[in-house]
Amino acid sequence: MTNYLIRRVIQMIFVILLSAGATFFLFNIAPGGPLSGLQQQQQQLTREDIARIKAQFELDLYLPVRFSRWLIGFPSGPITVGGQELFADIPVGCYLVREEQTTDRNGNTVTRPTGCDDYVYLSEIPELHPAVRSSKGILRGDFGLSTVVRPGRPVLDELLSRLNATLELLVTATLLSLLIGVPIGIYSAVHQYSRFDYFFTTLAFIGSSMPVFFFALLLILVFSVMPVFLQDTMPWIPRLPSGLREAMRGYSIAEWLPRVEAGSLWDRLLHLAMPLMVLTFFNMAGWSRFVRTSMLEVLRQDYVRTARAKGLRENLVIYKHTLRNALIPFVTILVLTIPGIFSGAIITETVFAWPGMGRLYFDALSRSDWPIALAFIFITAVLTVFALLLGDILYTVVDPRIKYK
Amino acid sequence: MTTSAIAQNARKRIKTDDGFFLPEPSRLEKMLGPEWARVIRGLLTNPLSVTGLVVVILFITVAAAAPVLAPPLNAMADPYQIPRDGFGPTPQEPGTLWERSVPPIPFWYESVTGKTEWVHLFGTTSGQFDIYYGIVWGTRTALLVGILVVFAGLFIGLIVGSISGYYGGVVDDILMRITEIFMAFPFLLAALTLSAILVPLFGRGIWPSVIALVSFGWMGYARVIRGDILATKERDYVLSARTVGARDGTILLRHILPNAIFTTMVLASLDVGAIVLTFAALSFLGVGTDIGYADWGQVISFARSYILSLDTYWYIIVYPGAALILFGLGWNLIGDGLRDVLDPRMKK
Repeated sequence: MTNYLIRRVIQMIFVILLSAGATFFLFNIAPGGPLSGLQQQQQQLTREDIARIKAQFELDLYLPVRFSRWLIGFPSGPITVGGQELFADIPVGCYLVREEQTTDRNGNTVTRPTGCDDYVYLSEIPELHPAVRSSKGILRGDFGLSTVVRPGRPVLDELLSRLNATLELLVTATLLSLLIGVPIGIYSAVHQYSRFDYFFTTLAFIGSSMPVFFFALLLILVFSVMPVFLQDTMPWIPRLPSGLREAMRGYSIAEWLPRVEAGSLWDRLLHLAMPLMVLTFFNMAGWSRFVRTSMLEVLRQDYVRTARAKGLRENLVIYKHTLRNALIPFVTILVLTIPGIFSGAIITETVFAWPGMGRLYFDALSRSDWPIALAFIFITAVLTVFALLLGDILYTVVDPRIKYK
Repeated sequence: MTTSAIAQNARKRIKTDDGFFLPEPSRLEKMLGPEWARVIRGLLTNPLSVTGLVVVILFITVAAAAPVLAPPLNAMADPYQIPRDGFGPTPQEPGTLWERSVPPIPFWYESVTGKTEWVHLFGTTSGQFDIYYGIVWGTRTALLVGILVVFAGLFIGLIVGSISGYYGGVVDDILMRITEIFMAFPFLLAALTLSAILVPLFGRGIWPSVIALVSFGWMGYARVIRGDILATKERDYVLSARTVGARDGTILLRHILPNAIFTTMVLASLDVGAIVLTFAALSFLGVGTDIGYADWGQVISFARSYILSLDTYWYIIVYPGAALILFGLGWNLIGDGLRDVLDPRMKK
């Protein structure tokens, strides 16, 4: 087991580093990015202006250097050994690109980089990219500064400020779906082909065929738009707020109910209701199905038949002999909710304007704020890999028959 | 019943070389082989999967008949661009007369609707894109994307999985680690990110999303085919092929893959529905297809700016949403039937 764990952890580090590298290079090679807006104004800007703006985003440094600075915050300047600066005159980037106008095959004038007029040397890094601006590297827990969404603000602060909202929504949804989904799965399996079973099988089917965003829009239509529409005929129907996490000022959801104060517990709960319904519905549909299938499989095992044959009470057969074995594969699904809880629910949060992680990521992605996007993806990838390992370890805990070599 | 009657009712038996009697294969089995014959028979005898098949065939018919059901403006126009009735910002309800740039009227139109001029059958979105046209041609987009993504994913998965399973050892280790790297990202998150990055590269259209969905959709197939190949390559006929000196490629392509590919193929066919739902989600979020492209998610995304007046403009989400649900439901019903055929233990 120890050997297995050591090997797994080494593999894990390898996978994390490679995926970090892949995402970093992908984002940096991709066209667009923070400079995409410049292209239109390129005519009015001088070469020096562009160089200065590029330097602001560290784009004057070479890609591998940038990657290393992003990952571990190295190099942050010349290496000092015994008061002597080493490698100070190694070029690590190019501040002013030498460009040449040529005519290509189709007769169009194109500008091509041909060399470098002003190299950035290692000794210049502290001056050009002072330590305040640069990051200590994501591996040391520093994710750099946001460029577009909240310019100049540390990414970590921005992520932390959104974490609360996401945890509130996702933890509640996960717990609620467990509390509802698992019992439904058990009951459906024990009473297979009953009306109850058919009802929830159908529901699970609809759940897997319905796009999340469509269900979310339907809920808004039913719970916050229709009540307004029906105000004249049926004024007693309460309406739910359709977005955000709390209201700006007090409001009333129906005439016969007391006014809801902004920021109060009721306000929070009312805002939570619809996104919670969406997430719970989809989790519950999937999980109850999963529990049902794995319960059915265990119910067919010989030892369950033996337990029944020796006259054990049905409750004991179900909860002690069947359920405990049926929930073993469920561990894998459950651990994978960990990265999900961090990364939030992109679609649900976007539709309901919920100020969580998923929406922050979507904002960062659509407005090309690469530092936020990279930090988010990196953390999610690390959590996923950890969750998979945790799942494998938990497996041996809940099922002592499994051994890793 | 007499014994002779039983003998008559039973299927003819044929004698094999080593003296055993086997039932004579039916015509279906002769045509497709025993496994596919079992799948087809299983699907056609289960009412749920028959419903699914009917729904999917309906969608295929609509896709094939799109130029007749919703004729494009003229021969020059890109048929996947939804024709628009002016540029007004307010959506118009179903039944409004089509006033500007009216497409030609197909032969069935007057007898079915009883009208002599085109009306917006399902209304328009803001910007006056015709919803009916978008749904009809969106069927083509959905089928195209679903099948394209699944086939491309299957192709990559088969290559990676079979090399990994066949050669084993270091090759297997490396390929499986690469697979794990791709699996370190949640599917929707990864697909969303990659297609957003690819948009400036390929321009807006279905390609960024298709490539993104393929890139993060092949790992499951690779793992399943690898497992099946590990089991198949120990069979005697593989050993005998190796003894007579067949090359690796021949053994893999002629002897192992045809016998191991079955489960993976079936798994892949189930994914078409799920892929199309994810594609619609990407379109809805606004990465991928351009405004006005005939694609269900794209049409629903118009509702994002009208969320609080959905009671007036319900048709923007209800019609394309119904198409999406029906499409997903059809594939899921087939998938459930297939799962029963593949894993008969789960049936009663």
